[in-house]
Amino acid sequence: MYKYDHIDQTLVDQRVAQFRDQVVRRLNGTLAEEEFRPLRLQNGLYHQRHAYMLRVAIPYGLLSSNQLRTLANISEKYDRGYGHFTTRQNIQFNWITLEDTPNILADLAKVEMHAIQTSGNCIRNITSDAFAGVAGDEYVDTRPVCELLRQWSTLHPEFAHLPRKFKFAVNGAKEDRTVLLCHDVGIELKKNNDVNNVELTHELTADIYAGGGMGRTPILGSLIKQGLPWQLLPSYLTALLRVYNRFGRRDNIYKARIKILVKALGPEEFARQVKGEWLHIQNSDDNFTKAEWQRVAQHFTKPAYQTLPALSNEQVIVKANEADTIAFARWLERNVKPHQVPGYASVILSLKPHGTVAPGDATTAQMNAIAELADHYSFGELRVTHEQNLVLADVEQAKLFELWQAAKQQHVALPNVGLLTDIIACPGGDFCSLANAKSLPIAKAIQERFDDLDYLFDLGDISLNISGCINSCGHHHVGNIGVLGVDKDGEEWYQITLGGEQGNDAAIGKVIGPSFYADEIPDVITNVINTYVSNRGEDESFIQAYRRLGVTPFKEAAYKNKAEKSLGATR
Amino acid sequence: MSSQQQILHFPLGGTISLAPNAWQIWSGQDEGANSSLPNLEHGTHQVLLPFTWWIANHQNPDVLAKAKNGQISVWFATDDDVLKHADLIEQGKQYWPLVAAHFPIFRDGRSFSTAAILRDRLGWTKEIRMIGDVLIDQLLQGARVGFDSFELRQDQDIVVALKQFDLFTVTTQNSWRSKRTLINT
Repeated sequence: MYKYDHIDQTLVDQRVAQFRDQVVRRLNGTLAEEEFRPLRLQNGLYHQRHAYMLRVAIPYGLLSSNQLRTLANISEKYDRGYGHFTTRQNIQFNWITLEDTPNILADLAKVEMHAIQTSGNCIRNITSDAFAGVAGDEYVDTRPVCELLRQWSTLHPEFAHLPRKFKFAVNGAKEDRTVLLCHDVGIELKKNNDVNNVELTHELTADIYAGGGMGRTPILGSLIKQGLPWQLLPSYLTALLRVYNRFGRRDNIYKARIKILVKALGPEEFARQVKGEWLHIQNSDDNFTKAEWQRVAQHFTKPAYQTLPALSNEQVIVKANEADTIAFARWLERNVKPHQVPGYASVILSLKPHGTVAPGDATTAQMNAIAELADHYSFGELRVTHEQNLVLADVEQAKLFELWQAAKQQHVALPNVGLLTDIIACPGGDFCSLANAKSLPIAKAIQERFDDLDYLFDLGDISLNISGCINSCGHHHVGNIGVLGVDKDGEEWYQITLGGEQGNDAAIGKVIGPSFYADEIPDVITNVINTYVSNRGEDESFIQAYRRLGVTPFKEAAYKNKAEKSLGATR
Repeated sequence: MSSQQQILHFPLGGTISLAPNAWQIWSGQDEGANSSLPNLEHGTHQVLLPFTWWIANHQNPDVLAKAKNGQISVWFATDDDVLKHADLIEQGKQYWPLVAAHFPIFRDGRSFSTAAILRDRLGWTKEIRMIGDVLIDQLLQGARVGFDSFELRQDQDIVVALKQFDLFTVTTQNSWRSKRTLINT
C-alpha cells in the first residue's frame, strides 16, 4: 500500500502543529467557537451530544495492520474502547476531548494517517472500491488515481470553503461498490485496451458524473464528461469545483450541495460551464505527470503471492471438521469473495453481529486481534467497505478454515454479508446531535427479529439501511429497505422507503407513506419481507420482486397492523 | 467608509511586512449605484469602490480622471462575475494600482476563486487585497490563491497573523504562489 514520502509526512506533521495552535487559541478564548467550528470540522472534529467525535480518514478504505493497532490504541487511550467504521471509509471515535485531539492527530501522523477534510465544506476523504486491486471484475486498479487525488485535494486553498461538503468516489470495476452515483463527483476509470502497466498510463480515461447526493433531495449523478485522460483530472476538477464554488447556493444550507446547482442549470448547461472554464486551464501544469503516477503506483504493486492451485469450494470445505461443515460453508458462501489470483480469496469480516453492538463498531480488543489476522493471513493489510465491514483481501484459500475459526473467536465471522442483518446504520440519536431519532436500537431490534440464519439465507440478498436524520449518513435512500428517523412534535418516528439500490442499477427508494413508531418497525419489516416471500419467483431477489410487483403489495403489508388496530379502535 | 490602520503585505517572492493603510473601502451601499463618490479632496486616502458602482459610473469623466490619478480602485463582491466583465478589468489594468475581493463572512470561499481567476485567467499581476471578515486562519489560503495584501478584521491579533504564512513548507497542489513540492530525484 501507499507509503508516505517526506512531503506527505511533513504536510501531516505541520497540519498537526497548525491545529494544535488553533486548539490553544480556542482554549484560551482568543478564537471564538463560531470561528473555530469550521477549523475543527476540517480536521474531522464534531461536537456531539456527549463529547467531541473525531472522524479519521482511511483513504479509499486501505489500512495496514499497524495503522489498525494505532486506531485500537486511540480507542483505548482517548475513547471508551471502541471505534465506529463509517460508510465512507472513515473511523469515528465518540468520546474525545478537545484537549486530547492534537495528541491523537500526532499519534495518527506517526502511522501516516490523518483526519484532514473528513468534515467541513471542503473536498472530503476520497472513497473507492474496498476490493480495488484484487476484485475479479476490475478494469482498473483505482488506488493510484485515488492517492493522487488525495494529495491534490489535501489543503487545496481555493476549495477550502465551498458552499457545502464535497465527496468524490472512484470506481474501476464492472460492479460498482462505491455508490458512485450518490456522490458529488463520481469518477469511473476505464481503460481502452488490454495493455500493460506502462501503457496503462496512456490508455486510462475517466468518465465524470456530477451532482449525485443523498440528504434531503436524493439525486443520482449525471454523466458530464466522457473519456477524460487521467492526467487531466486536476485541471478538469478545478474547473468543475470553481463553477460550484462560485455559483453553488449559499443562502440555504439545504440547497447548497452541487446536486442542486446541477439540477437547476441542467446537467448539459453545468457541463458546458465546466468545459468553458476548463478550456482555459486544461493544459496547465496542475495536471498529473507520468512521473507522479510512477511515484505513487509503485506502492500498489501486487503482494508476494505464491503460486497456488485454485481450489473449488468443495476442496476448501474439506478442511473443516465435520461439525463445522455447514457453518463454514455458509461463511464461504456469504463472506468470501473471488480473487484475481488463483488460490487466493478475499474475506469480509462482519462487524454486524446480531443485536449486540452498533453496526460497524469494533472494540479495542477486536481491532488488535483483526490486525493480527491481517498480519497472519493477508500481508498485513485490510480494507474498509461501504457496508461498514472489514476485508482481508489476500487470503490463501487453503487457510480459510483456519481464519474462520480465528475470526469466530473475535465474533466477526457471522455469515451475514449482503443479508438482511448486514445493516448499514449511522450512530443516530444516541450520539449525533444532528439526528432526529435513534438508529442503533432499530438496527438491534431488526437483527434480533431476524436472528435465524436459515431464514436469512433463504431470503438472500437484501440491503437494509438506517439513517437517524435526513443527512442520510446511513444511506437509507439506496437501501432496498430504507429506514429514516424523523421528528414529529418532539417524538421519534420512522419513515420507510422501498426500492433503493446501490451498484450498477442504483436507484433512490420511494417513501411508502406515513411514518411508524420505533416499536412498530420490526413488524413492518416482517410484513414487507413476508410479502416478498409469498410472491417471489424462483431465484428472484427482493429488489427484483419489488421491481416486478411495484410498491402496492409491500405498502399494504407494511400498514396491515395499523389498519387492523384502527379497525379495532372503531369497533 | 471603513479601513484598518495596518495592512499585511506578502508580495509574490517577497517577505511579509506591515504598512499603514492608504486605501479606504467605500461600501457604496448607502445610496446605491447612483450615489456619488465620497469627497476625496480633504483626506489623503485613496478609495476602493464597489465594482458594480464602477460598472455604472466608469464613463463619468470625473471618475475616470480620479482613476487615472490613482485615487480610486475597485473591490469585488462575492457575486461579482469577474469573467463576465473581463473587458473592464482589462481596461482597469491601466489605472488601478490594486483591486480587492470581499469576504462577507470568513467561511464564504467565493473570493478565493475570484482571486484565482484574476491571476490564472485575467492576468492581473498587481496587488489583490483580501477585505471584509478576514481572520487569521484564512490568511494562508488567501495567500496561496492569489491575494498579496490583507486587511484583517479589527479584532485579529497581528502577531499571531504574522506566523500563519510559513506553517507549511510543502504543498501537494499548485497554487499562484508556488508549484507543488516535488521529490528530488
